[in-house]
Amino acid sequence: MPVFRLHHNLGSLRDLEQEVDRLLRNVQLTVHGVRARRKFPAINVYEVDNEYLLTAELPGTQLSDLELTVANGMLTLRGKRADLDHVSESSFRRSERFHGGWERSVPLPERVIEDKLAATFANGVLKIRLPKAVQSPARKIQINADQENPDATESRIDSGSDVSSEVIRPNE
Amino acid sequence: MSDDLIENSGEFEASDADETQSSEETEPRFVFTPPIDIFESEEGLVLHADLPGVSSETLDLQVQDNKLTLFGRVNPPVPDNAELRYQEYEVGDFLRSFILSDEVDHERITASLQNGVLKVTLPRAPRTAARRIEVSPE
Repeated sequence: MPVFRLHHNLGSLRDLEQEVDRLLRNVQLTVHGVRARRKFPAINVYEVDNEYLLTAELPGTQLSDLELTVANGMLTLRGKRADLDHVSESSFRRSERFHGGWERSVPLPERVIEDKLAATFANGVLKIRLPKAVQSPARKIQINADQENPDATESRIDSGSDVSSEVIRPNE
Repeated sequence: MSDDLIENSGEFEASDADETQSSEETEPRFVFTPPIDIFESEEGLVLHADLPGVSSETLDLQVQDNKLTLFGRVNPPVPDNAELRYQEYEVGDFLRSFILSDEVDHERITASLQNGVLKVTLPRAPRTAARRIEVSPE
């Protein structure tokens, strides 16, 4: 009775495959979908009419522990979550949630009125409204002809290329 | 890991998640497993779950038989006409369920939801005091 059935090599490989498949089917991949190991907080940016809307998931953060600052085109979110300080390590059965302080900076698009940022915080979700600055009308720039090159008069540059479709790109 | 609280596997998601999708909405919704902490305290076991975007009106916490199920519905955080420009997370509902042991007093389970964090206290059932059985002589 051969242990390795050489002439049935492929067959046994297929058996192994099936066996592994069967095993995997029975494994509960509960880790899949757990939103634990990722950047905190995760943010999304939407564009609504004449403003951008930044949302961030900050479950467990107290409003008093949340700090937003804006300077030089950079929006900084800072906060902490320390509600389990009193619990000793040994009493934990499971720990999947984020603990501690965090900070994230997001560069703002140029055409946002920094003075008019408004934020709300409800049910652990932070929403920041970033109103777009009104786009100034295109202005034509007159080019004066060089003395030595009189043919080049009256050429114009249109500065009104569309920049309103810029996207906020948070830094990594 | 003791047996007081065992994560429930599979089946619930298959049946009930389908139900929530087929009711009124045709659009598929994401269903996530929320991260949780479980620790022991004087009152018993305490469970914390991150459910950002879930309010007390949209949270459904159930104990049936020995199964504790939490289902949190999340309403879209932005108006319908919002266009997504940059994305790090998906918006969806939260679902997770656990099997409770007899060590937990099912009747006295309490829960609170604050700032998107659900806190469930699972008190221990009082141990019945040992009762001495008299053996009467024949």
